[in-house]
Amino acid sequence: MNLDHPHIFGVRHLSPAGAWHLKQFLSEKNPRLVLVEGPCDFDDTLQWFSNPEVTPPIAVLAYTKEAPVRTILYPFAEYSPEYQAVLWAHEHGKECRFMDLPSEVFLALPEHAPGGKAADNGEEERMNVYGLLDRQAGEDGHETFWERTMEHTGDTQAYHSGARIFGSELRALEEDSDEDRPEILVREAFMRRKIQEAVAEGFSPEDIVVVTGSYHVAGLLDEQAAMTDKELASLPRLEASHTLMPYSYYRLSTRAGYGAGNKAPAYYALLWEGIGKADLSYPARSYLSRIAGFQREHGNPVSSAQVIEAVQLSAALAKLRGSSGIPALRDLRDAAVTCLGGGSFSEITLAMADTEIGTLIGSLPDGVSRTSIQEDFYRKLKELKLEKYRDITQQELALDLRENRNVSTKAAAFLDLHRSFFLHRLRVLGVSFAKQETVKQDNATWAEHWSLRWTPEAEIELVEAALRGDTVAQAASFSMKERVEQAPNMGQAAQVIEDAFSCGMAQAAVYATAALQAMAVDAASVIELAAVSRSLSVILQYGDIRQLDSEPLKPILQQVFFRACLILPGECVCDDEAAKAMAEAIEQLNSAALAHDFLDAEAWNGALREVAERDDLNTKLSGYAMAIRLERGLADGEALRLEVQRRLSRGVPAQLGAGWFEGLAMKNRYALIARLSLWESLDEYLNGLDDEEFKRALIFLRRAFADFTSMEKDAIAENLGEIWGLNRQDVSEALNAQLNQVEEKELAESLGDFDFDF
Amino acid sequence: MNQEILRLPAEQLFQKEIDALIAAEKDPVPTGWKMSPRSVRTYICGGKVGRTSITPKYIGHERLVEIAIATLVTDRALLLIGEPGTAKSWLSEHLCAAINGDSTKVIQGTAGTTEEQLRYSWNYAMLLAQGPSEAAMLKSPVFTAMETGSIARLEEISRCASEVQDALISILSEKRISVPELNTEIAAKKGFSVIATANTRDKGVNEMSAALKRRFNIVVLPAPADLESEMEIVRTRVAQLSAGLDLNSALPEEETVEKVCTIFRELRCGETCDRSQKVKGTSGVLSTAEAISLLCNSMALAGSFGNGQISQADLAAALQGAIIKDEDKDAVAWKEYLEHVMKKRGSKWSGLYKACSELL
Repeated sequence: MNLDHPHIFGVRHLSPAGAWHLKQFLSEKNPRLVLVEGPCDFDDTLQWFSNPEVTPPIAVLAYTKEAPVRTILYPFAEYSPEYQAVLWAHEHGKECRFMDLPSEVFLALPEHAPGGKAADNGEEERMNVYGLLDRQAGEDGHETFWERTMEHTGDTQAYHSGARIFGSELRALEEDSDEDRPEILVREAFMRRKIQEAVAEGFSPEDIVVVTGSYHVAGLLDEQAAMTDKELASLPRLEASHTLMPYSYYRLSTRAGYGAGNKAPAYYALLWEGIGKADLSYPARSYLSRIAGFQREHGNPVSSAQVIEAVQLSAALAKLRGSSGIPALRDLRDAAVTCLGGGSFSEITLAMADTEIGTLIGSLPDGVSRTSIQEDFYRKLKELKLEKYRDITQQELALDLRENRNVSTKAAAFLDLHRSFFLHRLRVLGVSFAKQETVKQDNATWAEHWSLRWTPEAEIELVEAALRGDTVAQAASFSMKERVEQAPNMGQAAQVIEDAFSCGMAQAAVYATAALQAMAVDAASVIELAAVSRSLSVILQYGDIRQLDSEPLKPILQQVFFRACLILPGECVCDDEAAKAMAEAIEQLNSAALAHDFLDAEAWNGALREVAERDDLNTKLSGYAMAIRLERGLADGEALRLEVQRRLSRGVPAQLGAGWFEGLAMKNRYALIARLSLWESLDEYLNGLDDEEFKRALIFLRRAFADFTSMEKDAIAENLGEIWGLNRQDVSEALNAQLNQVEEKELAESLGDFDFDF
Repeated sequence: MNQEILRLPAEQLFQKEIDALIAAEKDPVPTGWKMSPRSVRTYICGGKVGRTSITPKYIGHERLVEIAIATLVTDRALLLIGEPGTAKSWLSEHLCAAINGDSTKVIQGTAGTTEEQLRYSWNYAMLLAQGPSEAAMLKSPVFTAMETGSIARLEEISRCASEVQDALISILSEKRISVPELNTEIAAKKGFSVIATANTRDKGVNEMSAALKRRFNIVVLPAPADLESEMEIVRTRVAQLSAGLDLNSALPEEETVEKVCTIFRELRCGETCDRSQKVKGTSGVLSTAEAISLLCNSMALAGSFGNGQISQADLAAALQGAIIKDEDKDAVAWKEYLEHVMKKRGSKWSGLYKACSELL
């Protein structure tokens, strides 16, 4: 090696073997200065790395201070070579610095990474190169190739030179195709400059170890000039700040959409432990035993013999591919599927996710973390004058969403509305700072009650929301989008639309509406359609107060409502269990019909009429439909009288008749109680029943009257008194009285052999 | 080679390839095997050895083949599970052909298979005349495989009655068969293993016990992953089959293969290949094997009664026969498919569409 060059150790981020060999390398070279690839303005975070209260994974997040917010993220796991390098330097009392471009320059560089946000941690996540690499590496891509050739190496020198060759091959591969090239050249020139600065300070090159991505090794050894002052000054910059934040294995895994992450962070942690124990077969045993353990815990018996067989199979698979015979993750997965999952992947998917990704979350001491979303949150708190609510004791907040005409500025006039938007966004994000209370006053669409309470959990939840977006609004929008995409049914998609309106986010609402439209094409039950109608109807009613245009929702509400009308009668054939939910659905549809005159009233009345009149439907629902028709004046007293006679005529099984009455009584009781003719018919009906029928009817009627209040029973008593010519008081007493013991016993005896199951 | 035989065992059909692989062997060969695991993979997935090119026997899912081979290396028994027509027996036959050069130690499982057929039975005339002796024993394929340290095949294991399946449990865990009549027992030599196949979706199968399943490494063979690999399978197999059958007909055109595979895939998966439209599925399985036999049938029709070229009418008749099994539902699904999917596919498909709708 040229004496002018420091020792350069090429690594891959999140590589346990890299971390291990780097430590050996450092101990061997014993440098006075360790330079680590990473924005040089992050140096202030280095002191925390070795703090005993810090548990990795952690990350350094840099973000622009002004909109549009851009971010870059540097995650560190315990087995990150960079992390171990910093720890080594601290332990041995050596100096350690970051040496890459400052983050304010990074953030100002043109963005072209696929997927946009946070994809650039300054390393090798350029998809096109990796596509090429995948093809060349054979098997199932470069991940497995890397694991077999690099992670299983026990030799520091082999790793050192292997990583270097890997890096230069990678460079050669993308020589002509790479659009990031200029950026890389700038970065490498800057890193050379930092090395030169260190040398100028008095560190001799052999006293410096540089830790960098293997890709840059060739670039740093390059004889080209380092960056000049002038060049440095000409780089674009955006004002930025950065923070340490706790990170999690889940987010490290690519599932969370992070390019340079690691698909199996918990498995790599096993590799790290294995290296620490100097036992290369440890990860395989541990991985398979963990899967077995997870399966057992979740009620799927897996024997130790099976685990042994899986270990053997994975070794045999490894021999088919590599020479070392140490299974790679791919072999382990296949062995687990074959031996522990009975050949089907789906059986152990959860166990695999748990074992490979894990649930580890890093932690930092209080007050260290300040993410962009936290800043946005505190800014918003101030802006919306909510700061005093950030307290451990719970406080109530009543909002009036209407325009306040007594103030001069628009912001002040809609202060409460914006507060409501903000609190709803937090609710959508699952930040437990604000909880909405139900409003007692009916129909006060402009009023909202919240109870606010700040807890440490809320702070964690907020930091967790950071990766969904950089501001509260962005994150809420992302999380709603996610929910729409995963919504299993229309009801949930409609819920998202409702949330979007509550949050004042028209864009998300449009997106969710489109998704809902797509789902509406598929078959759905009345119950679902009714829930959707309700959600949409609520938005349309509240839309004005929230200053949002809800017009685009009308066609879809029309579509859903009409569909519900068409299939309602058919779906009313159901048992009493289902009838409860159906009755609720009918109620929801009815209130939608009443609230919006653009809905097809004729179709709705037709459907109600059909349900009320048909004999082959659940009688409770027929009764309920009749009650609605009565309430809306679509049927008169005469129609009711006829219907009561028909429904409660002799020959109709008692439970059907009583069920019908129960349905009828579910709504609008005062109107029913007031109709004397109804009670006459009922009386007539009961008198006509024989003993056996009466017992049956009794059960259903008791149920129907169970939730009448004693006031209502009084009123009924009055009616009955009138019919029977008795004193109202006496009848009421009899109706409201509890059974005494003798009566109860008699009743129990007489009902002893009565079959309740029909 | 005997030209009279309808279907030769794999090791004879592909004798040259096996010999070439054995000749070129570089890797260590497990005890009892004829070639190394890597060569077995080459034999099954195709490749080149010296100047001999090895035809691929199982297309797609190379990893599953690796798992199967690795299983046999660890002397575990292998169970191939899959829907009808996913090349389970095919794969099992070729694995044995490559590993032992002998794929004929096979028990064809049925509801009538007995425990004796799994272990050993007696030549009763000799048994009565001479008393029990080794000469009077009729050894089952499993028995012979144990003696010779090779692989026995058990076809359709799920069709065997559960007591027969149970008999296999101890054989597989202890790797020995006791013969109390001779006061002896036979222990398996190294290299012994069993490859069993089982259907997942069929009538008349017995559920396998957990104990038995535990003794196998289970590999589930899926339907071909994409249209291209399915077409390749169909094309190669139709060519191989028709070569032996004197069908007097030209091989089906690329377009015909594509159409058949597309229709089968779409009805099987319940959606069109471009995933834009849902399709109602049929009650039959519509496996790749059925597509192969359908094309061979059409070739036979065309060769015997037509001009030696598969016509649209031949194809339509064969398709209808394959798709509409016995239920009205299938006819409805097929009709819907014709109207909603095939009709809208443009001129390339219009001939077939017309021929099919005329038949309905």
